[in-house]
Amino acid sequence: MMIRYKEKATTGGTMLWLFQRITGVYLAAVLFIHILNLHVLLNQEITFDAIAGRVATPLWKTIDISFLIVALFHGLYGLWIVLDDYIHWGWARVCIFSAISIVALVFTILGVITLLPFQVGG
Amino acid sequence: MRVIKHYRIHLGTWAFILHRLAGLALIFYLILHIWVIHHLINGKSSFDGVMEAFNTPLFKLLEVGLIGVILYHLFNGLRLTLMDMGFMIERQKALFAIAVVLWLISWFAIGAVMVSRLGELSMSLVSTIGGWA
Repeated sequence: MMIRYKEKATTGGTMLWLFQRITGVYLAAVLFIHILNLHVLLNQEITFDAIAGRVATPLWKTIDISFLIVALFHGLYGLWIVLDDYIHWGWARVCIFSAISIVALVFTILGVITLLPFQVGG
Repeated sequence: MRVIKHYRIHLGTWAFILHRLAGLALIFYLILHIWVIHHLINGKSSFDGVMEAFNTPLFKLLEVGLIGVILYHLFNGLRLTLMDMGFMIERQKALFAIAVVLWLISWFAIGAVMVSRLGELSMSLVSTIGGWA
């Protein structure tokens, strides 16, 4: 771990490493609430009607969209950290990094257009 | 040979390997999760139809397992963050023990609620099938 840290310090990776920790703490809080909300407090099946009202409120919409973006960043950057340790072949790294970036973009858009249309009262 | 013979994977290394494996599983789950939830776009009947397919005891048990993986990654991640900040570096084993206890307690508590509802789901399945028969 320390070796990684030193090696990355020269490439500007330290900021990303710190950001991975900060997003991790945010996700720990929001994901724990997410699980409690949907699997413990919501004592019924997860249906459209059961979640539409909550997602429509500005506070929950903000939490859910930030949750989506932060989770995708943390997860896909984490995936890159793991692959970075094993893949040393130049063009393969470029291809995989590009593929991960495209997945990040596509699924961020897909998630945001899913959450945005919900309106209070309809 | 002596070196290999006496080589032993330490607790922290296991925690690190499990953290990575859990993280890899979770990013693949997150992509699938966003894909399933995006059916909200198509409205109530589309979303409820998709969710109905997951309303089986098998998927509920898989969800309990998933939550175990999430909570391991969550509490071990918090442990790593505290250690990176220099907290309890002298008492790593105690911090690891706290993380494991919090992981197991929270998993057991949430899992118990979910499994108890699984009983209701099984009963409703039994009565539905009984109704048909």
